[in-house]
Amino acid sequence: MEWLEVFDISLFRSVLRSMTPIALIGFGAAMCSASGVLNIGLEGKMLNAAFIGVAASYYSGSALTGFIAGVSAGVLTAILFGVLSFNLGADEVLAGLAINIFAIAFTRYLLETLFDRRGFFSDPSIQGIDPIEIEFLKDTRFELIFSGFTPSVYLVFFLAILLYFVYYKTRLGTAIRATGENPEAAEDAGINTLRMKWLTVIFSGVLAGIGGTFLSLENMTLFTEGMSAGKGYIGLVASSFGFNTPLGTFGASGFFGLGDAIGIRLQGVYELDSRLVLMIPYALTVVVLILIGVRQRYRVRRVPIDISE
Amino acid sequence: MEKFSFKDILVLIAGLFITAGVAYAILTVTGFIPTDIAKLFYEGAFVGQRNILNTLNIATPYILTSVATVISFRVGMFNIGINGSMYVGALYAAWAGYRFTTLGHLSHVSLCIFIGMLVGALWMLMPALLRVYAGVSEIISTIILNFVAVLFVSYMCNGPFRAAPIAPTTARILETAELKQYFPNSEFHTGFFIAVFVAFAAYFVLNKTTFGYELRSGGDGLVGFYPSRYSSYLGIPSDRSAITGMLISGAIGGLAGAVIVLGNTRNFYQEMAFNQGFDGILIAIIGKLEPLGGLISSLFYAALKNGGLFVDYKTEVSREIVVILMSILIFFVSAQKIVSSLERFEFVKKLDKFFSRKVK
Repeated sequence: MEWLEVFDISLFRSVLRSMTPIALIGFGAAMCSASGVLNIGLEGKMLNAAFIGVAASYYSGSALTGFIAGVSAGVLTAILFGVLSFNLGADEVLAGLAINIFAIAFTRYLLETLFDRRGFFSDPSIQGIDPIEIEFLKDTRFELIFSGFTPSVYLVFFLAILLYFVYYKTRLGTAIRATGENPEAAEDAGINTLRMKWLTVIFSGVLAGIGGTFLSLENMTLFTEGMSAGKGYIGLVASSFGFNTPLGTFGASGFFGLGDAIGIRLQGVYELDSRLVLMIPYALTVVVLILIGVRQRYRVRRVPIDISE
Repeated sequence: MEKFSFKDILVLIAGLFITAGVAYAILTVTGFIPTDIAKLFYEGAFVGQRNILNTLNIATPYILTSVATVISFRVGMFNIGINGSMYVGALYAAWAGYRFTTLGHLSHVSLCIFIGMLVGALWMLMPALLRVYAGVSEIISTIILNFVAVLFVSYMCNGPFRAAPIAPTTARILETAELKQYFPNSEFHTGFFIAVFVAFAAYFVLNKTTFGYELRSGGDGLVGFYPSRYSSYLGIPSDRSAITGMLISGAIGGLAGAVIVLGNTRNFYQEMAFNQGFDGILIAIIGKLEPLGGLISSLFYAALKNGGLFVDYKTEVSREIVVILMSILIFFVSAQKIVSSLERFEFVKKLDKFFSRKVK
């Protein structure tokens, strides 16, 4: 069982790092799905944010400016998505797809036009966001496990708890869920469903912005073409894996992060092919989706029987 | 889905003008002379035998993926996974291309194409069944399958199908399995004719046959793409047509992959990256979800792409500007409210009636 050696503290740390962007996107996607918006444009929002973050950091020499610019780029892309699908009546899926394709071309175009580079852009004057050393964990055994991550990693834990409370314990959370589950009833109850949808889309834009800057300013300080590499889609898949709930999404992204981290570890070292490991989270997602689907069918079918009794 | 109506064409033309305006603005701001660039675009896409052939060659997979999109969307299934079908179709076409050694040219090519289409169709079987029998959103499941397809082909390239010990590629396909390239200066090959044939066949089947009507009835009743039970009221099982449509769509996606391998690359290698599946969706939307509309807009898109390559080669303008403009056009065309707001104008209504009347 030599492959068991893979599981150690550094694997845990790399799981946390790889799950962060997925979880950030996943939270946004979960909130959007909860309000009945299938937001597949998150990939594009993330990519735009990653590029604009790097560009702003390069020009201003300040990581904070880069971060703010990146998040703004995510929000602006989210607004574009919202205007297209809510105000102009475009289909959500098409608007999302178009934004994803747009973002790939847009970032490449700017990469070539502004920096005259192809493929990737890295420069010493790009300021990255520094990791946080937690003071009170110093010289304890937890330092190795929990200290020295970049802010977004901690943000994920914080968000998971915060969103859990918002989702289940507040009026806002109930309103969001009502919008997704039964828009007409929600309207009757006095909820402005369009406002709820806008809210979740903008929120997902903020998170996608943070996720994008995590990729390009925290995890690494460079931009590569298409560096979001499908994480926007994976986040969406993770949110459906987690029943579109905050904690479920958190767990699901941890799972995808684990697959990712093990996959990187296994590359070329052991007999077990890393690609097969990477497939496991997807296979499990399909199983979960089937369970959700069957459960819903069962619920729907049961109603007429109850009436006849 | 309605037929092409005057207001759609109006929106399309207006969209083209607006995107042209955006292009003009971008080029002027970045310090180029737009008219010169436009001339280069035209030259790169249409002037000379080589450029025309390259345009047609680029168009080949787009025609197929847009037709695949049209069919799946028209039966009411949002198939985002055509890219996945392309990957597995391409891989297995390559496998069939070197595996069967005793066949003649025609039979071998047909077999490779058949296997590519079969695998592409099977790839779409699971999302179709999951959607119909378990209510799993086909959008999510096809997105998942896109990822799985990339991992799967990369595994197969490195493992069972790997031929060269140095690079992760399959063996080169045999000469009998090649789609013929006719000209020495271009990769243009027979696949283009296959693609055009498929587009016309799809047009005929969808619009002129009972089978096509049954297929469409599942999706055409969708109001703004949201599911309705329109076809069940007609006594047509929409579940069955949804599955059939999805399989056909997957098969054409697989064909798109197979055609690239058999006609252009002649083997499957790990770094092969397809994005035609995603672009095909946009192209199909511009073509108003009609097979022939898809054919025309694929040619248009390919001309832009090829022109963009030429411009990129000749000047400092990045070729990506083409995709940017295309997605702006999509933003405009897919905005249903712009189209419907045109109905306020009296002349649009009149012209609409004039163009949509039946000629007897």
